[in-house]
Amino acid sequence: MSIAVRAVGVAAGYGGEPVLRDVSFEAGEGRSVCVLGPNGGGKTTLLRLLIGELRPAAGVLEVSGRPAYVAQTDRTRLDFPVAALDVATMGTLARGRWWLPAGRADRAAARAALGRVGLAAEAGTRFGELSGGQRQRALLARALVQDARVLLLDEPLSGVDPSSAALIADVFEDLRREGRTLLVASHDVESARRFDLVLCLHGRQIAFGRPADVLDGPTLKETYGSELIVLGGGGPAAVTVQHHEHAHGEERD
Amino acid sequence: MPSPLDLVDLPFLRDAVIELVLLAISGSLLGAWIVLRRLAFFSHAVGSATFPGLVVADASGVSPTLAGLTVGLGYAGGVQRVGRAGRDAGEATALLLVAALAGGVVLASDVFESGAVVDRLLFGTLLGLGAADLALAAAVAALAAGATLALGRTWAAVTFDPDGAAALGVPAGRADLLLLALVAAAAVAAIPAVGALLVTAIYVLPAAVARLVARTISELVVLALVVALAEGLVGLYLAYWLDVPPGPPVAALGAVTFAAVAAAARLAARR
Repeated sequence: MSIAVRAVGVAAGYGGEPVLRDVSFEAGEGRSVCVLGPNGGGKTTLLRLLIGELRPAAGVLEVSGRPAYVAQTDRTRLDFPVAALDVATMGTLARGRWWLPAGRADRAAARAALGRVGLAAEAGTRFGELSGGQRQRALLARALVQDARVLLLDEPLSGVDPSSAALIADVFEDLRREGRTLLVASHDVESARRFDLVLCLHGRQIAFGRPADVLDGPTLKETYGSELIVLGGGGPAAVTVQHHEHAHGEERD
Repeated sequence: MPSPLDLVDLPFLRDAVIELVLLAISGSLLGAWIVLRRLAFFSHAVGSATFPGLVVADASGVSPTLAGLTVGLGYAGGVQRVGRAGRDAGEATALLLVAALAGGVVLASDVFESGAVVDRLLFGTLLGLGAADLALAAAVAALAAGATLALGRTWAAVTFDPDGAAALGVPAGRADLLLLALVAAAAVAAIPAVGALLVTAIYVLPAAVARLVARTISELVVLALVVALAEGLVGLYLAYWLDVPPGPPVAALGAVTFAAVAAAARLAARR
């Protein structure tokens, strides 16, 4: 299995002190990685490094091809007059012909991607009129159109209805089977258990490995600090996290 | 009350009609992106920024179009650099707007004693629209059409989701610079007809009206074109009738139309 994403001693920031440091991990093709941590822990910063929006202040970062990126839905303009099909069609810009209008093949690819995320019937619906889960699926369709080997998703299940969450989970599974690598930022400990690997961040790398090895009480306590609430007997299966909503338009994780 | 047919019978009014139709085309195309990208303040400021340059050009015999384009494009480049550096361009825009107006007034009144030229530069004129003005307006309309066709989906992607567009590999900075440069050139093209102070009457108000009801970008452009043509032609007729520069009636019509459509849209939303 070849390596799709590799980080060695990576640090990054926004001009001042690094907000993320000492990140070293590898993810092979067809593996899913949950990037776990509290708000401000560095999850979005890591994703921005991987799409090339930020340059590492230190270390080496390698990604197989141009990754597809699904930002948090609150980073999008809900008042923007585009339909779900228009959003999915934006994914064809990754093919490089950004100076040309979208062609028939581009729209066909976008329709196919919408069908894959269960939004074929909503292709003509304005993005802002979709439910939160449907919006997330439209953005996922845009990423699917890119046909990237590596997909990066920032809190894709945050505020998503159960049916959308199930659909998104199914698409993730399909993508893994196709040999694509998924890096999914999340604050949700329970959802992290369904991934192949977990990367815990809190301004630095706390742990990396299989969920069974990483999601223990001490590691989670170090990752979340005071946000961690231990329920019942205090075992690893009974932890939850106080989640503070992102302020709208927040720049950094 | 003069006959509306004068608009096509009298040569100087016919030129003004052609000018306003061309400006309506570029106004609707670029106006759509101006309101979607929230560049209304920039488009107002870039028009005003050319004022001192135009005063100097008028006094020194330099081509006002060349002077206006130089100042406008330079200003667009500066705003794009500020934006790319991650800073809010609003403060720089406001500062330049005030400085340009103050500098222009001082140059016009105390240095060059431009007199009546100031009114023409600030509010436009029905008289003296020449072949060069029409050619510039036609060139800007053609550029706006070509750029919208070629770059429309790139501008849409960057505006809709800047992070997502960056990940798509879209050259957002270059696309942004091109849009700002086009808006600057369009503002300069509109100055002879509506004046430096009122270019927003062409490039913002029609699209802002259309934005209230349009559900797609195509609808936005078409509605803005209809509004811009109606405001331009009615405003031109009013200017001819009332013997005033065309800029103020076109702008006043735009403001009244916006208020009426906004009120109607609010009422419709309550039902």
